[in-house]
Amino acid sequence: MVDVGMTYPNGKVALADVNVEIPNGDFVFLVGPSGAGKSTFIRLLIREQVPTTGSVRVAGRDLVRMRRRQVPALRRRIGIVFQDFRLLPSKTVAENVAFALDVTGAPRSHIRQRVPQLLSLVGLQDHAHHLPTQLSGGEQQRTAIARALVHAPTILIADEPTGNLDPVTSWEIIQLLIQINELGTTVLMATHNQEIVNAMRRRVLALEGGHLVRDEAAAAYEREY
Amino acid sequence: MPFARFIGFSIVRAWQGFWRNAMMSLAATATVILMLVLLSGLLIVIAGLNSGLEFIESKVAVTAQLQDDLPEADRIELIADVETQPGVASVAYVSPEEAMERLRASYREAGEELDTGGAEIRLFASLEINLVDPNASGDVGEFLATHDDVVRVLTKQAEYDTLLGIINVIRTVGLVGIGLVGLTVLFMIINTIRIAVYSRAGEIEIMRLVGASDSFIRWPFILEGVLCGLIGAIVTIVLVAIVWDPIQPAMVTIFQMPTAVSARFLTTLSVVLLAAGLGVGALGSWISVRSYLSATH
Ligand SMILES: Nc1ncnc2c1ncn2[C@@H]1O[C@H](COP(=O)(O)OP(=O)(O)OP(=O)(O)O)[C@@H](O)[C@H]1O
Ligand SMILES: [Mg+2]
Repeated sequence: MVDVGMTYPNGKVALADVNVEIPNGDFVFLVGPSGAGKSTFIRLLIREQVPTTGSVRVAGRDLVRMRRRQVPALRRRIGIVFQDFRLLPSKTVAENVAFALDVTGAPRSHIRQRVPQLLSLVGLQDHAHHLPTQLSGGEQQRTAIARALVHAPTILIADEPTGNLDPVTSWEIIQLLIQINELGTTVLMATHNQEIVNAMRRRVLALEGGHLVRDEAAAAYEREY
Repeated sequence: MPFARFIGFSIVRAWQGFWRNAMMSLAATATVILMLVLLSGLLIVIAGLNSGLEFIESKVAVTAQLQDDLPEADRIELIADVETQPGVASVAYVSPEEAMERLRASYREAGEELDTGGAEIRLFASLEINLVDPNASGDVGEFLATHDDVVRVLTKQAEYDTLLGIINVIRTVGLVGIGLVGLTVLFMIINTIRIAVYSRAGEIEIMRLVGASDSFIRWPFILEGVLCGLIGAIVTIVLVAIVWDPIQPAMVTIFQMPTAVSARFLTTLSVVLLAAGLGVGALGSWISVRSYLSATH
């Protein structure tokens, strides 16, 4: 991101003068008080929104110049996970994961092989035929993570993935994200969870009022000096 | 085959979507059937009347009854004069004997025998004039009426004009009526598909997030609308085919529609019905999908 600014149509300045580079394979926490612009930052990365100023490059693509019809290809390079899981309630765990492949025209043989792979990666092989309502929050989030990984993305973005989970389950999800990062995927996680950020000692980007106020490696949630 | 997968995916989703809100889809399909049945009725009546019109055009357009015992020389001269009139295709002389024979034949056709009660009947000799241009019958009739050798002139002009007038009225009223019904149908389909799109809003959002292309998002809905039109068209074609058996002979006898044309008519009508059904389905769902998907992105 270079000199990125984002002003919503209602005049609200959500981001201003943000300059960030995230190399491949990084694990980055994005922190900041509510309304600081974390979700906006993420929306720019997946081109749900186009910045009003500056430029954004993701996986070698210029998202400002990108045409609408090129967006799907970008989204397959990025896996996305949200606080509220966003699973389809009428589909089972396996079907929810398969859906992401189905709607992008993946061959059936590939789907049959890929879905069990991902379910065992996130530890849900025994829950393949359960509906989301039959799962705990942590299991639902694992399903969402499996779905985010179906296209073997280079980047996994998570917007408060532990926001709805208890501390123990949150830790399990973090462990999973670390494991995915170790397999080579860049992970960016927006969070309010101080405990986790402090314990992990990873790179931290801190936003406040739309400004990037801190970008530190191996850092804690709060400024420590 | 990614394209085959896309087609398969879209058709399956359209089919699921159709039954997911079955009440709405079937109601839309019912309005399609209503529209197409009305359209069929209109097309059948118009085709029949057009055949009748052509039949009249093809028949003798002007008949001139000649003076009794007109000398042959005068008759030949008269024929030559008439032939030079603009718009005249051919002139044929019908002798009294031939006229008598025709009368007998028409009785026989009706299954009776002409009974003159033993009286000697002598019919008029006449000229039958075919026209190139049916509109010329007024002028040709005028010319004959003022001729001394001619007793009386009969034209089909009035009959022709009446039929043409009826056809125009029916066509206009019918098309306006069907246009209005068509708008209602379009509205029904737009609504049905809008509801289908809203009921899948969550899926659409996820499809976008995981990188589904626009065509994967759009086409299932468009096909769902097309499905309403297709089912409506098929049902209507079956209905028309059932009632066509009794209708066809009527077309031939009442409207003088050539049998060959009436046999082909059902096929032509089916094609028109399919095109109309699919067209309204595709248009309605396209409008619906376009307005929703561009509004949400
Ligand atoms: N679509 C929008 N239109 C107008 N303003 C918006 C929109 N989305 C977000 N904002 C505003 O932009 C600012 C940044 O919002 P954003 O959602 O990025 O914050 P956040 O850091 O994710 O907050 P939280 O931690 O509560 O999720 C907020 O003041 C918010 O009200
Ligand atoms: Mg947020």
